[in-house]
Order: sequence, then C-alpha cells, then structure tokens
Amino acid sequence: MSLFVNSWRIIAAAWKHFSRNLWLALTTVFVLVLSLLSVNVLLGVNVLLSNAVRQLEDKIDVSVYFKSETPVAVVEQAKFFMTSLPQVKDATVVTAEKALEDFKKLHADDPKIMSALAELDQNPLGAVLIIKARQTTDYPFLLEALNNPQFDFAIESKNYDDHSDTINRVRDISRSVQVFGAVLIAVFALFSILIVFNTIRVAIYTQREEIGIMRLVGASNAFVRSPFVLEGVFLALFALGVTSVAVYSAAVYVDPRLGGMFDGANAGLVAYFTAEGWRLALIEGGVLAGLVALSSWAAVGKYLKK
Amino acid sequence: MITLENVSKIYYPNVHGLTNINLTIQPGEFVSVVGQSGAGKTTLAKLLIAEERPTRGKIMIGGWDITKIPARDVPFLRRQIGVIFQDFKLLPQKTVYENVAFALEVAGIPSRRIREVVPQVLKIVGLDEKAARFPRQLSGGEQQRVVIARSLVHRPRVLLADEPTGNLDTINTREIIELLQKINAFGTTVVLVTHNREVVNSLRRRVITLSCGQVAADHAEGKYLLPS
Ligand SMILES: Nc1ncnc2c1ncn2[C@@H]1O[C@H](COP(=O)(O)OP(=O)(O)OP(=O)(O)O)[C@@H](O)[C@H]1O
Ligand SMILES: [Mg+2]
Repeated sequence: MSLFVNSWRIIAAAWKHFSRNLWLALTTVFVLVLSLLSVNVLLGVNVLLSNAVRQLEDKIDVSVYFKSETPVAVVEQAKFFMTSLPQVKDATVVTAEKALEDFKKLHADDPKIMSALAELDQNPLGAVLIIKARQTTDYPFLLEALNNPQFDFAIESKNYDDHSDTINRVRDISRSVQVFGAVLIAVFALFSILIVFNTIRVAIYTQREEIGIMRLVGASNAFVRSPFVLEGVFLALFALGVTSVAVYSAAVYVDPRLGGMFDGANAGLVAYFTAEGWRLALIEGGVLAGLVALSSWAAVGKYLKK
Repeated sequence: MITLENVSKIYYPNVHGLTNINLTIQPGEFVSVVGQSGAGKTTLAKLLIAEERPTRGKIMIGGWDITKIPARDVPFLRRQIGVIFQDFKLLPQKTVYENVAFALEVAGIPSRRIREVVPQVLKIVGLDEKAARFPRQLSGGEQQRVVIARSLVHRPRVLLADEPTGNLDTINTREIIELLQKINAFGTTVVLVTHNREVVNSLRRRVITLSCGQVAADHAEGKYLLPS
C-alpha cells in the first residue's frame, strides 16, 4: 500500500468535503477567525500598555539643582560619585550656562522675565545633574545616596517624580485587560471547538453513504477519518491566513493614529507583529490546528465505532 | 472454510437474533440461506463481515478467528469477503467505473493497478461497455452487477449476497444468479441469502433453512421448504 497514493487521495477527499459544504465551511472559518482575532487583539493591547509603561518609566529621573556659583569641580565630583553606583544608568550635567540659555529660550516671549534677567549681572541658576536609574525601584536609594557630605552642601533642591500613580494605573488596566482577554479567548476557543465539531458532523452526514460503502468495501478507519481531520486543519489554516492579513492591516492602520498617546512616531504595533509574526502564526496556527483536528477526530469517532 | 461454533447473537435488550448456530461451509461451496422474515439471515451475514459481534460462540473464516476481531482488522476482513446487499449502495454521482474503482482506492491500491483490475471485473459482469454510465442510467439488474463487480475487486474468497435479487424482476434475477454461479465456478465460496423459491430450487445446491434464529434444516441438495 503506497503512502503517497493514499495521502493524495486523502487530500483530494478533504478538499471535496470542504468545497461541498462551502457556506458552512466559511461560517466555521469566520468563527475561527474571531477566536484568533481575540488572541491577537489581546496581544496588541498588551504591547500598547507595556510600551506605555516603558515610556513612562523612561521619563522618570532625579534632577539635582545645585546652588548658583557652585564650582564645576563639585558638580563633576557629584556626577562621578553617582555614575560609579551600579544602580545608575546615566547621569548628565547641565551646566549653569546651558541652564540659563535653556531658560531664556523657554521664556523668550515673556518680556517681564527677560527684563528681570537683564537686571541681574550674574547667572541666577546653578548647574543641574540629571540621574536615571536602571530600575524604577532604585530611586529611593539614589535619593539617599545624594546625602553625601562631599557635595550635599551645594545642593539647592532635588526634584523627583516617579509617575507611580500613572504607572500603577496603566498596570491595573493591563491586568484587567489580561483577565478579560483570557475569558474572551476561552469562550471563543470553546465556540471554535463546538462549531468545528458540528461542521464535521454535517460533513459526515452529507458523506454518510460514501462512508458506509467505504467501510463495507474495506477502507481502514484511518482512511475514512483522515479527510475529515484534514478538512478541519484546512479550516484552521484558512482562518489563520485571514487573521494574519486582518491583524497586520489593523496594526498598520492603528499604529500612526495612536502616535499621539506615545511621544514617539507610532505605538509599536507594526514593529511587534513584524518581529513576532512568524512565531505567533506558528503557535496560534499550531494550537488551533491541533484543537480543530482533535475536534474533527472526535466527531468522526462516534461514527466509526462498531 | 467458514465455521460457526455455538454462535448466538442477542441484540440489546433481549432480542434473540441467532441461537446456538453450528455451521461449516467448505471452500468453493454455493450455499443458499433461506428463512422467514426475522429468522436471522441478515444477522448471520452481518456476523460474517464483523458488522455485528456474536454474543456467544466462535466464528472462524479461513483459519482466522474473527469472534473478537479488533476494529482495526475489520477492513482486512472486508477485503476478503465481497458483500452484496439488496439496496445496491452505489454512489449516484460516480460512474460505473468510478464506483468499482472506489473500492480499490480506499484500500490504497496504486492507480496503475486500479486501471488494470476495474476493466477485468467489469468484463466478468458484462458491463465493460457501460463503464462510463451513471447508476441512474442503468437497469436494476445492471446496477446490481456493478455492485457484484465492486465486491470482486479484491478477489475475495467468499462472496456474501444478502437478497441480491430482492428488487429485481425474474429475468434480471436469473442473470444475477447465473453471474453468481459463474463466480462460484472460479472457486469463490458464495453465500446467498434469498426469499426466492425458484432460485433456490433451480440451483440444486446446499440449502440452510433458518427458523427463529436456529438452523431448522441443512441439506446438501436442498429445496425451498418454507410455506409461501
Ligand atoms: N440492530 C438490531 N437490534 C435489535 N434487534 C435486531 C437488530 N437487527 C435485527 N434484529 C432482530 O433480530 C432478528 C433477526 O433479524 P434479521 O435481520 O437477521 O432477520 P432476516 O432473517 O434477515 O429477516 P428479513 O428476511 O426480513 O430480512 C429479528 O427479530 C430482528 O428484529
Ligand atoms: Mg434480512
């Protein structure tokens, strides 16, 4: 018995089942697409939220304002000390001159401030040291470390905003989205399995004569069963194709439109789905095809018992 | 050789299909099985192709104990026993040729071999000229001959026919029985279940009479004994 001959006959039979009940097949594909979409929408929302958190975390820093007239050496020493701490990712100095320049630029339209500045014969601003930590949890430690007798006398004030309210709110949203999404996916997965089961039952019903004859003339159970299982896999792959196109198009459409919420040019959806696309397709397609095949297998099973 | 030892079949919940059947059928025999409606003839046929399992007893076919044959082995049994039923069971959307080829396809026979075998068996049943027709374009007798052709593709050692002429007129019946005799002459064991008195009496071969699930008579050159 030739495996190749059989495979070809099984594929041909599966394709025939599929095309015979075309409308039913398309409806099934539609439901499968819905369940795949629910997975991908959840993934997309997760990407958006984690990008938002990352962006917020990027904004966190400690600004240390030195008194005016503080010697550059003291500021540099503070910078050197802070940079040497393993928790510090980055420390930059804005010199007093640069700070003044920035200040002037910012208030160029305000004649009152500009004239007040002109009255002064020296720079009222001191240097600023901007420190970024590697992790958001390191900031309390850094603030503590700044109380260093070598330079703390020169510090005018410290400014630290951890955005923790916003970050916590985003994290909360993220958690609810995940719970809600998981429930949605479970519901759709269940629907998919039931719908596929039903579709295959109908396919079996329309083929019942043929199956009866097949069994009568000595077709093996595997031969009777395989086309139906394969039909299920066809449905799954078809749904995967439709979903891939839909998800990618949606990402391309949505990405720049969400740009406003992110300081960057886009929300990072296209980047995510481009980078992970194949892996996602493989996993989602694999899981769906597996479930569908199992469901089809079970649907034929009852018919073959005897 | 087919042997049944103390075979009983009880259908759920408590219908006695067959009770304590003991039979031996030698290779090459032509056996008619007769009996009134409900006597258990179809039950006997179904036991032989493992569509039903016996409740008690032992069934052997060609040295193969099929009493508790596992489902995965049933297809191999079916390829050794050709089956013909009263309702023809042809696929209406396939041609004569395709209907016959179908039995080989599902058994995984290579296409080249199928192209050899199908014309051969169609010739045996005299339908080689009508290979391209659809079942609806054939007479009842011709349709039944297609079924016989299909049952022959695996060169079965046993041909089991359950009322193959039940839907046919006298002439077509005659043709089918002659065909079965021809197949039997090639060495194939034929088991024919029938209600037809003329057929049984003209055959002059072994007749097994079933009554209420039991063997009531078994004569080597038997006659149709039942009241009509
Ligand atoms: N699947 C089944 N479940 C329950 N009882 C059954 C089943 N099949 C057959 N029977 C019963 O078993 C008995 C024998 O039936 P069987 O079909 O073998 O009769 P038969 O001799 O072929 O009759 P006929 O000449 O009408 O075809 C009958 O009483 C029938 O009602
Ligand atoms: Mg019967």
